[in-house]
Amino acid sequence: MKKIVILLTMSVFILVFTMCNKAGIFDESGYDDRLTGGAATVFDETSHAFTHVIDGLTERDGHVHELGDKTFEQTFVANPAPINGGLGPVFNNVSCISCHHNDGKGTPTAGFSTSSLLFRISIEGKDAHGGGIAAPGFGLQLQDQALVGSKPEVQVNINYTNVPVTYPDGTVVNLRQPSYTLYNPYTFLPTNYMISPRLAPPVFGGGLLENIPEETLRSYVDANDVNKDGITGKANYVYNPYTHKQEIGRFGLKANTSTLQVQVAAAFQQDMGITSYIFPQEASFGQQQTANQQSNKDIPDSSLDATIFYVRTLAVPARRNTTDLDVKAGQKLFTTVNCSGCHKPTVQTGINLNLPALSNQRIHPYTDLLVHDMGSGLADGRPDYLATGNEWRTMPLWGIGLFSKTNGTPYYLHDGRATTIEQAILWHGGEAEKSKQAFMNLSKADRNKLLKFMQSL
Amino acid sequence: MRNKMNLIGACLFAVILFTTTACNKAPETATTSTDFVTLEKQVLTDFTNNVAMSNYLKLSVSATNLNMALQNLNNNTTDSNLIVARTAWQTLRETWEQSEGFLFGPVEDNDYDPNMDTWPTDYVQLDSLIGSNNSLLASDIQHITLSLRGFHPIEYIIFGNHGNKKASDITTREKQYMVSLSEDITNTCNALYLSWSSAPINFAQEVINAGNGSAKYSTKLEVYTALVNALIDIAGEVAESKMLEPYETKNPQLVESPYSGNSLTDFRNNIVGLQNVYLGVNGGKGLKDLVASKNKALDNKIQNQIIASINSFSNITGYYEDAILTQRIQIQQTMQALTTLKATLEGDLLPFIVQNVKD
Repeated sequence: MKKIVILLTMSVFILVFTMCNKAGIFDESGYDDRLTGGAATVFDETSHAFTHVIDGLTERDGHVHELGDKTFEQTFVANPAPINGGLGPVFNNVSCISCHHNDGKGTPTAGFSTSSLLFRISIEGKDAHGGGIAAPGFGLQLQDQALVGSKPEVQVNINYTNVPVTYPDGTVVNLRQPSYTLYNPYTFLPTNYMISPRLAPPVFGGGLLENIPEETLRSYVDANDVNKDGITGKANYVYNPYTHKQEIGRFGLKANTSTLQVQVAAAFQQDMGITSYIFPQEASFGQQQTANQQSNKDIPDSSLDATIFYVRTLAVPARRNTTDLDVKAGQKLFTTVNCSGCHKPTVQTGINLNLPALSNQRIHPYTDLLVHDMGSGLADGRPDYLATGNEWRTMPLWGIGLFSKTNGTPYYLHDGRATTIEQAILWHGGEAEKSKQAFMNLSKADRNKLLKFMQSL
Repeated sequence: MRNKMNLIGACLFAVILFTTTACNKAPETATTSTDFVTLEKQVLTDFTNNVAMSNYLKLSVSATNLNMALQNLNNNTTDSNLIVARTAWQTLRETWEQSEGFLFGPVEDNDYDPNMDTWPTDYVQLDSLIGSNNSLLASDIQHITLSLRGFHPIEYIIFGNHGNKKASDITTREKQYMVSLSEDITNTCNALYLSWSSAPINFAQEVINAGNGSAKYSTKLEVYTALVNALIDIAGEVAESKMLEPYETKNPQLVESPYSGNSLTDFRNNIVGLQNVYLGVNGGKGLKDLVASKNKALDNKIQNQIIASINSFSNITGYYEDAILTQRIQIQQTMQALTTLKATLEGDLLPFIVQNVKD
């Protein structure tokens, strides 16, 4: 009996001490490096790597995802049409997939039927919500295509000039400096307009980015550069026309959109002229030439919501070659030269009760979703809410090594001027200048290791 | 977009399972590893030369023939020339649909597919364009929207509703448009063939040299995975999209190629394209040779399912847009055959490839 009492007492002690112990955090080595999107990771390195649904959806949610997939792929045509009507009257393209090639990036051309480079436009000043002021007659985006019978708002000519960059070791890399000329506008362009080129970005992983707590993003801001690394970062606060609130920007190349709902609806309206319950006004609203071609809900609510859900539930491709010694060395160099100052390698998502694969996930997006001064070389000179003309959102780097698979020719940066990751790095300036210089001062072998690491993302 | 979440992961799991099970018995057909590695290379070479390049060359020739037939129809608008033009359109369409059995590489990278085969056609704009004074040269076509380019606007002009159009019904503007459209298609098809056959892309060499200097495919497994995924995609596309959507909604407007009534032939040719990749053509090796060398039962299963799928189309008669209302059981059977085939390609062939293809 005494023995039993002693044993029970010991058991109680063990239990109490164990309960007092807080759950520890796994060591880095306890995680699988390949799981870029945590539970929302997919193992596919083919051209369809960005096109997969996250795991664990209910049957109903899986069906909604598929409906959204179909809408994402469908070609819209002019009204009145038996199916897929509502295109235009002015637009940039006829389907989501035309620009987001394989759910990835687009092609930086303008004026062709498969072009995916568009231009935002505004004039000096800020509107009531802090956003840019629409250019009279053109709005906030230039639509370079129109239904037969209307004129495109404008046409754009793109020219590239060669800019050689020389490393300290004598290696020369040629960069392409783009210049854009607007011509043939349907009416007079305002004299003081500002434009900003935007290449269609990949759309996968958006659900995870949307699920990063706002406090986490704010914690990355180092407004006074306390750590003296030259990087400050800024959260862009933007107006949400659906909630009528100022919210932290996460999407768009200047973080000028707060939610996937608004991002997707705005793309339907601005890129294709497809109006919805979020944006019931045509992109061409106010134009004399299209005054009789206004319709206020081209896409059914359910189709828009399914498309938003589709984008929200696209998985992130897994990393490749994570055990390769050069890749591992490159991973360390990525931190050494402080690419990781903005391209945050590891982020924890918040709780999402509806979608477990997005909830509380340890992900590797390689972004802080803040906007940073990237220097004059990349500047568009067009402010967007709190983002200045020099600032761009840190591009998520997940999937970047697969662009050549998903797109054939890979294009990088906000306007696709770079066709290699190395060129993209060499365009960095401003807050990233120090890191770029550190990269350029690496030996060629080390630079290659860093690039090899980035190819593994 | 594709419902193949964690496919490779699942394959790896299946491979482990398979390997563990396979330890218990000898393979049905003995093949040395050297033979298999040689065969891997041969299959890629034969796929490239005999299937892909051959199909794209035929596509290029067929596009030129269509352009010539339409020019001829433009110059001499008779009903007999219209019949020749329609036959040329159908031949081109057959070749294109068969090439959709391996829809990877430049055809998707460079947007050759949407440039030629965007659907639906934008009737409203098409009528507006024809009724306008807009220039309709071939150089104008590449700047107009995708829904006004490619096969289907030509089909609309030369077939009318299920071929009820007469030569005399085709207007001067329509003739100008159809000729320019066919010139645009010819340019696209030539570019597609050249992207495989010559620099700067030379995709044929990227495939043949996979795992041996190919910039696109650092391992043979990568290109084989792309190839098998292309087969899975086309089986799924026909069963779960092209056939299913009009069937489910009973909406004839959702049927592709409605003017010519060619939809069933299109679907069948997609699967013939799949078959060409699997079996190989003109005496060349195909995926079947790899599979049969190690697992004859699996090869038999795949071949039988391909044949069953192709043959099942014969049970559906008339136009597909009518059959969705009147022959629902037959359509269901074909979709089921295709779904079964897709499941085998996904669940058996892909794991086989992942397990066996080595560099």
